[in-house]
Amino acid sequence: MIPLPARRRTELGLIILAVILTGGLYALAGFGKAGSLPANIGPFLGTLFALLIAAHIALRRLAPLADPILLPVAGLLNGIGYVFIARLSAHEARLQAIWTAVGIAAFVATLLIVRRARDLERYRYMFAAGGIGMLLLPLVPGIGEDINGARLWIHVGTLNFQPGEIAKLALAVFFASVLAERSDLLSQGTKRVGRFLVLDPRYLAPIVTAWALSLVIFLAENDLGSSFLFFALFIGMLWVATGRALYLGVGAALFGGGAVLALKAIGHAQTRVQAWLDPWVHAETTGYQIIQGWFAIANGGLFGLGPGQSGAASIPEASTDMIFAVMAEELGLLGVSAILIGFLLMVGSGLRIAVRCERPFEKLLAAGLSLILGVQTFVIVAGVTRLIPLTGITLPFVSYGGSSLLANYILLALLLRLSHGAESEAVTIAVPQEHLVVGRAE
Amino acid sequence: MPDPVQALLKYVLLALLYLFMLRVIRAVWVETRQPAPSAQPQTLDAALSYEATHVHGTVKAPPGPEKLVGLSPAGVKGREFPLGAELTVGRAPGCAVLLDGDSFVSQLHARVFRRDGGLFVEDLGSTNGTFLNGVKVTAPVIIAKGDKIQFGKSVLEVRKS
Repeated sequence: MIPLPARRRTELGLIILAVILTGGLYALAGFGKAGSLPANIGPFLGTLFALLIAAHIALRRLAPLADPILLPVAGLLNGIGYVFIARLSAHEARLQAIWTAVGIAAFVATLLIVRRARDLERYRYMFAAGGIGMLLLPLVPGIGEDINGARLWIHVGTLNFQPGEIAKLALAVFFASVLAERSDLLSQGTKRVGRFLVLDPRYLAPIVTAWALSLVIFLAENDLGSSFLFFALFIGMLWVATGRALYLGVGAALFGGGAVLALKAIGHAQTRVQAWLDPWVHAETTGYQIIQGWFAIANGGLFGLGPGQSGAASIPEASTDMIFAVMAEELGLLGVSAILIGFLLMVGSGLRIAVRCERPFEKLLAAGLSLILGVQTFVIVAGVTRLIPLTGITLPFVSYGGSSLLANYILLALLLRLSHGAESEAVTIAVPQEHLVVGRAE
Repeated sequence: MPDPVQALLKYVLLALLYLFMLRVIRAVWVETRQPAPSAQPQTLDAALSYEATHVHGTVKAPPGPEKLVGLSPAGVKGREFPLGAELTVGRAPGCAVLLDGDSFVSQLHARVFRRDGGLFVEDLGSTNGTFLNGVKVTAPVIIAKGDKIQFGKSVLEVRKS
C-alpha cells in the first residue's frame, strides 16, 4: 500500500544525513581532542557510507517494502558509537570498524537466507537447542573466559566472542513460535481445579524449561544484565501473546523473589546492589565506576563540553558499559536525549511492524525483537544513571563489542524482513488468501 | 580552531542531530497518516476499489496488453474487449462485456480482474456457471493468453492485443 520506492528513497536520504552527521561529529571530536582533523576521517566516512549503502541496496533487492527508518537510525548510532570509541581507544575503534563490516555482512546474509520470516517457525527446536548451546559455550573449560567476574566469553585463537548475544535472538524465535501456537491455551484456563479454571502447566512446560535453563546458565555465568533481559523478554512476549496483564504481575513477583535469592547467593550481585544503593560508601572501589559516570553526566550539563573535550578516559569501561556517560559529558543532556529518541523510534518502529504483521508468530517475533532492543537500552541507560543497579550490558549499536554489534545487525535484518513481509501482504491481503486459487484450472 | 568556533559548531551539531530525528519522525508520521491496516476494507469488492484507488493511483488502470475475443456463438464472435483493471461480464446494461444475446448468462455473471500483475476470472454466483477451459470456476482463478472462458453459452478467449 505504500509505494515501493518511497520507503527506500526516505531511507537513502536518512542514510546520507546520518553519514554527514557522523562525519561532523568525528571532525569536531578530532579538533576537540588533538586540535586537528582525525587522520582517518576520509577512509572512515567512505567505509561507513559504503557499508550502509550496501545494506540499503540489499534491502532494495530483497525487502523493498521494509521499514525505512530502522537502518539509518542504527547506522547513525553505530557511527556515533565509533566516534566515541575512537576517542577513547584507537585499538578498540579498529576492531569496532571490522565488526561493523562483519555486522553489515551478517545483515545482508540474514536477508538473503531468511526469505520468509515464518519459515523460521519450522526450526523452533533447533533454535532452542542452538540458543542454549551457545549460552553454555562459555562454561566449557578451555575456550570459556572470565572477564570482570562474568563468564560470558569464548576464546578461539585471538578471537573473542560473546555467544550469549546471538543466543538471545535464537531464543526469541523459539519463544515466539511456541507462544504463537499456544496463545489461546495460555490466555484462558483449561484445567478445572475446584470452581476455577486454571492454566494447564503442561502447555507452558517447554517455554518455562528453556527460560529457567537459560536463567540458571546466566546466573552461573554471573551475567545479571542478560538474565534480566531474558526475563523481561519472556514475560513481555507472554503478555503480548495472551493479552493478559496478569502475566506482568506474576513476572514482577517472580523477578522480585529471584532478585532476593540472587542477592543472598551471588557475591557479584551484592556488590552491584551496594554500589547502586550507596555508591559513596565504596567510592574508591565498587562505587567508583558509577560515581565517575555521574560526574561525567553532571559535568556535561545541558549542551555538553563538546565532542572530544572531556576527561572521560577516567571512567572504567568507558567504551562499553559507560559509553552513555561519556556521551552525556560531551554532548550534554540534549545530545543524549536525541540518542534516546533514536532508540525509542527504533523500538516504536519495531512494534509498529508487530502490529502490521498478520500471523501470530511474526507478530510475536517482531514484538520480541523490539523488546530485546528496548529492554537492553533501558537496562544499561538506567544502570548508568542509577535508576537500577548497573549491570554489564551493551548499549545496542553504540557500545564497543563485536558480538553485540553482530547480533544487533541480525536483529535489524529480521525486523526488516518481517516488515517487508507484512507490507507485501497488506497489498495482497485484500483478497482473502483462501479465495485466491493461484494455479491453473485444468 | 578557536574555542568559540568550536562551541558554535557543537551547537550546530546538536541541531543537526535533532534535525535527523525530526526527519525520521516525519517519515513515520507521513506513513501513519495513511490508512491503518485495520481500516482496510475487508470484503473483496471494497478491497478492489481500495486497491484501485490506493495502489494503482486511479480508479481506472490503463488497459493491459490482453483482450477478450469472442469465439462463439455468432452474436459474440469477433467482438473484442480490452482488459483493464476490471471487467464485469453479464446481461445487465452496465456490464463491460455485455452478453445480452445469451439467455444462459446471468445479469451479473462473472468478472475478470487484474491483481499483482496477474489476470483472474471469478464467477459472481451465476446460474449456469463460468468455465475456464471446460472446468467450472469456483474461486478466482488466474488466467493467461490462450485460455478459453465460457459464460453461459458464450465462449471468449484471452489474447494478447
